[in-house]
Formats: sequence, C-alpha cells, structure tokens
Amino acid sequence: MPQSAEKIIDHMDLFRQPEYVDLLARKRAEFENKHPDAEIERVAEWTKTEEYQEKNFAREALVVNPAKACQPLGAVFASQGFADTMSFVHGSQGCVAYYRTHLARHFKEPNSAVSSSMTEDAAVFGGLNNMIDGLANTYALYKPKMIVVSTTCMAEVIGDDLHSFIGNSKKKGSVPEDFPVPFAHTPAFVGSHVVGYDNMIKGILNYFWNAEGVTRTETSSINLIPGFDGYSVGNIREIKRLFGLMGVEDYTIISDTSEVYDTPTDGQYRMYAGGTTIEETKEALNAKATISMQQYCTTQTLAYAEEKGQEVFNFNYPLGIQGTDEFLMRVSALTGKLIPEEIKKERGRLVDAIGDSHAHIHGKRFAVYGDPDFCLGMSRFLMELGAEPVHILSTGGTKKWAKQVQKLLDGSPFGKSGTPYGGKDLWHLRSLLFTNPVDYLIGNSYGKFLERDTKTPLIRLTYPIFDRHHHHRFPTWGYQGALTVLVKLLDKILDDMDVRTNIIGETDYSFDLVR
Amino acid sequence: MHADKLTAVFNEPACAHNHAKSEGERNKGCRKALKPGAAAGGCAFDGAMIALQPIADAAHLVHGPIGCWGNAWDARNTWSSGPELYRTGFTTELGELDVIHGGEKKLYKAIKAIVDKYDPPAVFVYQTCVPAMTGDDIGAVCKYAAEKFARPVIPVDAPGFVGSKSLGNKLAGETLLDHVIGTVEPELTTPTDIVLVGEYNVAGELWQVKPLLDEIGIRILATISGDGRYREVASAHRARAAMLVCSQAMLNVGRKLQERYGIPYFEGSFYGVTDMSEALRNMARILVERGAPPEIVERAEAVIAREEAKAHQRLAPYRSRFAGKRVLLFTGGVKSWSMVAALEEAGLTIIGSSVKKSTAADKERLRQLKGDEFHQWDDLKPRDIDRMLRDAKADILLSGGRSQFVALKAKVPWLDINQERHHAYAGYDGIVTLVEEIDKTLSNPIWPQVRLPAPWA
Repeated sequence: MPQSAEKIIDHMDLFRQPEYVDLLARKRAEFENKHPDAEIERVAEWTKTEEYQEKNFAREALVVNPAKACQPLGAVFASQGFADTMSFVHGSQGCVAYYRTHLARHFKEPNSAVSSSMTEDAAVFGGLNNMIDGLANTYALYKPKMIVVSTTCMAEVIGDDLHSFIGNSKKKGSVPEDFPVPFAHTPAFVGSHVVGYDNMIKGILNYFWNAEGVTRTETSSINLIPGFDGYSVGNIREIKRLFGLMGVEDYTIISDTSEVYDTPTDGQYRMYAGGTTIEETKEALNAKATISMQQYCTTQTLAYAEEKGQEVFNFNYPLGIQGTDEFLMRVSALTGKLIPEEIKKERGRLVDAIGDSHAHIHGKRFAVYGDPDFCLGMSRFLMELGAEPVHILSTGGTKKWAKQVQKLLDGSPFGKSGTPYGGKDLWHLRSLLFTNPVDYLIGNSYGKFLERDTKTPLIRLTYPIFDRHHHHRFPTWGYQGALTVLVKLLDKILDDMDVRTNIIGETDYSFDLVR
Repeated sequence: MHADKLTAVFNEPACAHNHAKSEGERNKGCRKALKPGAAAGGCAFDGAMIALQPIADAAHLVHGPIGCWGNAWDARNTWSSGPELYRTGFTTELGELDVIHGGEKKLYKAIKAIVDKYDPPAVFVYQTCVPAMTGDDIGAVCKYAAEKFARPVIPVDAPGFVGSKSLGNKLAGETLLDHVIGTVEPELTTPTDIVLVGEYNVAGELWQVKPLLDEIGIRILATISGDGRYREVASAHRARAAMLVCSQAMLNVGRKLQERYGIPYFEGSFYGVTDMSEALRNMARILVERGAPPEIVERAEAVIAREEAKAHQRLAPYRSRFAGKRVLLFTGGVKSWSMVAALEEAGLTIIGSSVKKSTAADKERLRQLKGDEFHQWDDLKPRDIDRMLRDAKADILLSGGRSQFVALKAKVPWLDINQERHHAYAGYDGIVTLVEEIDKTLSNPIWPQVRLPAPWA
C-alpha cells in the first residue's frame, strides 16, 4: 500500500494512488450496485433542462441549499457590536456553537457567545432555572457590562417569556437589579438572520430608550445602523473615515463590530473589543436622525426610532457611485457638513477606474444571491458598470423585496433581462444557471458548489466567506469600497480569460500579458 | 550604426511622403530629430522588436541591460497558431562589469544557451544602446555563432538612440532583407502565393482574413511577421505578389522585394469594408497578371459580394443607434483613415483624425473630402489632446496606447484600437466587431457619470 508510517500521505494525494484508485473502482463495480453510467449521465443532464426547472420551482416542502441563516445568528452578530457585552442565547447550546463557528470561520477571530444550555428537563419544565443559573454564571465568569439575551427555537417552542424570566433572575440575584439585560425573542422558525438582527437591535434600544424616567431631548447627532454585514470590519471603518474627512463628529454607530471581529495579535486576548457603549446607546435616543444602511435589517428598529421622534432614512447596502453619492449627501444634509475635496477626488478616482475597465464588464451577465439588501445594492452597482444582473435571488427575500428589485431593474436598460427570485434557494438557482446561463455568479462561499456544477465563475462578495481569507478587512462601501468590489469583479473576469486560454499549444495563443 | 544605411532607409524612394517634398528636402530624407524634453514614442529598438518578434518559432535575444526587454517582453498581443518560443523573454542582462569589459562573450554564451536548451530554427539578436556605445560587435558574434551552431543568428542593429520606433520598423525590414529573405527555398510554390508585409496578427486579425483568401484560392506563403515562421519568412522571395499592410512601416521591404526578386507589391488595408474588398481585388488582379488562373478574380468577386452584403446587413441596425454620434480617430497608424468609410457607413460622424504619418497630399485630400472643420493634427502633447477633445465635443475617441487614458480625463469615451487590444478588427467580421465595441462603449453607463460633476458640487 502507498501509505506507510515513514511517510503519511494526506487525503489530497492518498486516494489518487494507483492502489486506491483500483480499490475504489472495484468497490464501485462489485459492491455499490449503482446505476449504469449512462443512466446517471442521462439524469444529470435532465436536471439541467427546462422540464426539471419547472418541477424544481414547483417544490413546496423542501428547501435545498438555503441562502439564509436563522434569527439568533443575526441577534448574536448585533449584540457583539456593543461594548463589553456578552451575547447570551436562551435555548440549547448546540445552536450557539453554530453561530460561534459560523462567525469565527468568516472573520477568522475568536467569537464569544454563551447559551443557557437547556436540556430535556428544561424543555418539559421550562427554562427559567437555566436562565437564572446562566445569567449568574455569565456575569461571574466573563464579567460583562451588559448581557444581551436572544432565544433559540427550543425556548420559543415552549414559550419561555424572556421579560419575566430576566426579571425573576434579577430577583434571585443572578445579576444586580440595575445590570442591563436587554432581550429579544428570535425564533429561527420566523424570518432569517436579518430579522434577528432587527429584533435584537430594537430590543437593545428599547431597553435603554424606554427605561423609566428617560426622555428625549433632540441633539444634532445622528445614528447609523450598519446591519448584518460580513464586511462590517472594513465597512464600519470606512464610514468612520469618511465621517472624519467630512468633519462629522457627532454620531453613533449602533452595533459597531469593527473591533471585536478584528483584534490584533499582540499577546492579549480580548473577549470584548470596541463596540457601542451603553452611554452612547442611551444617548442615541436624542439623535435627530437614524440612518440604516440595510433597510431589511432594520424594519422594526427604524419604525421604533421614528416613533421616538427621530427622522429615519433607509439605504439598501449602498455600493458604487450613486449609492455612495446618496449616502454622503444624506449625511451632509443631516449634519450640515460639506463633502470635502478629498472625498470628491476619491469619487473621481472611482469614476476613472470604471472608465478604464468598463469594456471588460460591459454587457456581462451576472447572477446575484444573498441577503435582500445586498442583492439590491449589488445589482444597482452592476448596472452602473454596464453589466446585467440576470438572476437576483434571496432566500430571505419577500414579495415586497421582489417588487423593489423589479423597480430597480426597470430603471435601467441593463436591467431588462433581470428577474428577482424571493424565497428561492440555491437549488432553484442551479436550474436557472443551466436554463438561462450567466457569465458570473456573485454570492458567498456556498456558491462554490454551483460554480463546480454549472461552471459559472463565482465572485465571493457577501457573508459567509469561509474558503477565502480576510476579504472582510477591506471595505465595500464608499468610493474606496466600490473600488474593492470593482477589482474583485475584474480579477475574476480576467482570471477567467486566462483560464480559458492557458492550455499550452492549444488555447494559449490568446494568453495575453496585457489585458 | 552605419550612416549610409540610415540615410538610405530615411530616403525611401517609394515613400509618397518623401515624394511630396521638394528635391532638397527629399534628399535630407525623413530623419527628424526628436525634441529633447518633449514626450516621445518608442525607440528604434522597440520598433525593430515589434516588427520581428511575431516570428514565432525563432528565439529573440535582447543584448542589453534589463530595462530594454524587462519593460517590454510579451507586451503585444500578436498571436501564434503554433510555436510560443517568441513569447519567452531572452536577454543578456548586461551589468556594470559587462559595460567595462564588454559583453560579447556573454552574448555568445547566451546564444549557446538558447541553442542548447531550445534548439530554435534561428536566433534574432537585438542590439541596444549600451553595447552599441561600448562597442560590442554583435555582427561578428552573430556570424561566429551562426557558423558554430549551424543556424542563422541574425544581428538586428537598431539600438534605441538611432531614432524613432518607426525607424526601428524599417531597420527590422532591412535586417530581413540582408540576412533572412532569400536564404531558404520553399518546399512548395503555387502561382497564387503571396507575402503579407506589415501584418502582425494582433489579436488574431490575420485569422479573420485567411479563411477568405483560402476560399478564393490565394495562398499565404509568408507573413512578415504575424504568426510567422522563420523558414517561411526566409522563403518570402518566391511569392508572386506582396501586400504592404501597414504600409509606411515596411515600405522598404516591399520596394526591395520588387527590385531584387521582381515581386510586384501594392499597399492595402484589411480595415473597413471598402478597403478589405479593395485588398482582395488587388491581390487577385496582380496574381492573375503574373500568371495565376483567372478564376481567382471571379472567386474574389463572389466572396466580396457575399461578404459585403453580409457586413452591410450587420452594420445597418447601428445606423439609428449611432445617429449624430461624433468620432475622433487618434491612432498614430497611417491607415486609420481606412476605417472612416466603414464607420460612416454605420452612421457615425467622423470629426477628426490624426495625420501624423500621412502625406501632405493625403491631408489635402482629407480637407477636400471633409471640409475645413474636420480636425487634423500631427503630434499632440497630452495637454493638447485634452483641449482638443473638449473642444471637438466628440462622443467617442478611437485611440490606443498612451492617449486613451488622457481621453478619459477629458471625459470622452474611448475604445482601444491599438496593439494591446483584444478584439480583432480586420476583415468584414472585424469591422462589425469594431462597430459592436463602439456601440458598447457609447452605451456604457459610466459615461454620463464621467461627464457629470459630483452631485453635491
């Protein structure tokens, strides 16, 4: 056998050794009793047809490869953007382990969140004791300044009432009476992670803004809610930089994850880093306005802020020239600060870069999937570049969202071939990529399976990105961010040209140095 | 560099540009000193290199310090259908000690290494400024190496300082005439053999033309030098007719093919419907005059009729889209004018063209055809290009190389039609491709964005 203790071969090579190739072939032939190759081939081909697509789209019960995650993931993300805050998920610990790995794999950072570790008896008798013990332990072990509570399905199914549970826990002395424990019910069987984000932010604001004796005195400050964003590290820093250039000083970023998801390696472990402080959160009530960078991440939160008397403004993950223009002009109008020459130059450089490269992107067809706001922002930028968004798919997308996408598409000649697919999954997208092929696919790491199946090159531009590193450290917002996105699109297009021309002696006549 | 060689090259009798001058001026030739301190184009070495490098199976060795080739290797999309050796960057990379002690031995060793490792049919050795000044005799080294390795080792004596890129083209042509053409007898000749001079197969343009020639029955014996093979180029003297494709650059090659071997030549272009048809007609006519079967004229006419009809049909839809669109041509290439008819046919209005390499007669003809408002300009500084673009209110600039990025700053859409381009614009299909590319560029949404100030300004 090729494997020996002297030199252990890893999986990449081991199963390619002749002995294994032979062994696996014999196993297949003698024991697997599989369908004939021709039959497998026939069915595989059939899954690429219009006929199969029709059946695929008629699917009712089954979701295959969803492009969304659950509410508590969004809630954990939202709460980790507050200073010295421990995210506490009431429910089973397994769920929380998922959120932590999910976020850790994407951001390449340790991720801290705890659960009340409910078990079978808690499911029968209710999770109050787990809450009481859990809050006490969290408080003692991790010494947070705030514990933010969300829920998993388990707690939601049995109907645990967070408000009374937390009240009871405080009475039992788990945490001091005045210790902040905001909460939100975040059942995974409703909505998606973007809804969980919304619920959690609203829960936190509500805890402070509706506290006894609190009244609102309007100031000139503004709030900004970034929303659930895999690029939050780069993007929030970019927003701060732009605000700095404009001289906007009086602002609060509500849920600032840019530090906790990007701590330095200097010998010190930071369980908490950066984030919106309790004081800032309280003070944010007095802001004259709240801007949301992602409408679908803040539906309830903005309604709540408006109810409190603030002006509210929605964006849909603003990418590119016009998206950034609108955002900056809104900030300028709200704060009275002018957009400085330096930012104008950045804009000019972006326009220049697009002009330099437009011929490569013009008319290219794209499929885009991801969170509802990302799909909107990305499609808009594509059309700005002269590219055509063709399939725009969001598993978390609603009918309202689909209408909004359609309106966006109708506004540009480059949107003519585009269709929004709300509530559809990546298996639906697979059919679409076969029956109505596109040049490139924009999504997250899960898109690599579609790339492999359909040979549509994948551009990773949204959460989660597990199989490529450090993308989140660079912004996608602002003119600088748009440049990052532009370069990613171009790199893929040009890499793709190289791949299609790199067979020596066969296709390499157009393997060009200058492109 | 021998002064007589330079004078001869500059005083090209077949050059219309030169013809149009007074006698005194004509004798001075075209040698025009470059203006120190002003931005200039490429050097003679660059010109020689781009003219010869497309000979794909040969090794191209640059004898010089790293800059000459380090900055330039494989920077042009001239494609090969077979060997790829021409794209490997070979240089002697001369250092300080070579400047002191001379680089001849190093050059010899480099040639030997190439022959040992790659066994090419020929090695082209390019002289550059430094060894030309320190006195390396590349002619002697090449001669010695050629005997030693029993294959052609050709000195290309066009160091950068002798002049412009265009001069380098011509010197490359002289090199071929002196050392290459006529040294090999072809295995097969036919009465319809032609040689294409100055066709470089940029982005595969030659391959857009070749199927039509195949259909007519015209055989390309050799191309100088696109998708070229050494032995084919060396046997070019057996062609029955020659076409000068990029005419000014290698006029000397055409004339001397005629003088030495009696091969008639004509100047033509594959750009644009009219010029393409004209080129096919001329080829067939000259070949028949030299004894080729007369049917090829009929076959050429049939191909022309069919392809023209097809091209017209494909260009027609653009007429309405292009109505009122104004185009500036800035190519440096002498045959930019040949695209004008095709672009006008697609409904574009051509409002100006560079005439840097055109003759006085050409310029006059342009003036008569297009009127005084038509912009013609020779050599422009980036600032002048910028001003001119703004004044002319063009919708699109067809340009290449260095001017395209200036165009963008002047907020004018541009399309790359120079040597780095990726689309083939030659032939009937090529002009349709060009029009398609223009259409894309004109309709790209970045242009309104480019023209508008930041919305808050």
